[in-house]
Amino acid sequence: MTDRVTGAVLVQKIIRWLLLVAVILYVITGFGITEFRTVETLTFGLLTKNVAFRIHEVLWIPFAVLLSAHILYSLVLRLWRRYRT
Amino acid sequence: MRKKVFVAVAFLVAVPVVLGAIDSCATDTDGNELESREISEYQGEDLSSVNDFRENSINGPQYIDEEDYQLEITGLVDNPRAYTYDEVIGDYQSYKKVVTLNCVEGWDVTILWEGPLVRDLLAEAGPLASANTIIFHAYDGYTTSFPIDYIMDNDIIMAYKMNDITLPPERGFPFQLVAESKWGYKWIKWITEIELSDDESYEGYWESRGYSDSGNLDASFFD
Repeated sequence: MTDRVTGAVLVQKIIRWLLLVAVILYVITGFGITEFRTVETLTFGLLTKNVAFRIHEVLWIPFAVLLSAHILYSLVLRLWRRYRT
Repeated sequence: MRKKVFVAVAFLVAVPVVLGAIDSCATDTDGNELESREISEYQGEDLSSVNDFRENSINGPQYIDEEDYQLEITGLVDNPRAYTYDEVIGDYQSYKKVVTLNCVEGWDVTILWEGPLVRDLLAEAGPLASANTIIFHAYDGYTTSFPIDYIMDNDIIMAYKMNDITLPPERGFPFQLVAESKWGYKWIKWITEIELSDDESYEGYWESRGYSDSGNLDASFFD
């Protein structure tokens, strides 16, 4: 039982951190489009406007999945804990 | 753990604030003066403001001296020409047209543009039969190109006025191309040279970085 709880918490943590990465990437690539001169300089030419556009356009998919997982998983975990006790 | 979250949240908050501050420092214009003179409606159609544009040029606003300015028409023409600013706006009939600029970044502006037709300027230079591409060069090194038919078959304006005021330097003084039905990156500002070429595969600044060469509004701007 303890193993199962630990595993569930670990999954919750992974989702949380992945969501944070997705949010940060979303913000940075957004600025990579609108403030491309600044972002290109700050990233030493790594994040060009074109690259930022391409990442930003597809990023909503993992973002939406992770956000849904983050909300639903926490909800399910909380209900499961309440039911168990 | 809490410390890491705090650092991440602080980063998320700090980045927009810093970039916003840098942007506002770089692009502030004397907006009040412009707004008091430009028109906001034309023949019943609401217009955007000159200040509604976002500054997204490759090297920031260019400040061109009207006295030193020359518009060159080069390449595959019978008579290569060089016009002063006054010659362009004085010797050619100007046309007014309300056209919406759609930027790939997601914003758009509807503006009353005024200027001569590009094809009128080219007529005097006499394009050669072998010319099939028109390459526009800007003061900041930016370039973009069009098939010659697009310029000749449509009423494409090279604007020197927007909303009844002279183009401000931030908006492309002395001339901006009104490339209607094309994405905003084809609307080249600070035009200094119009080159006629037979290089159909020529790619401009953004086109060589993955944007569509045609830049048609009804298609994706990615190749």
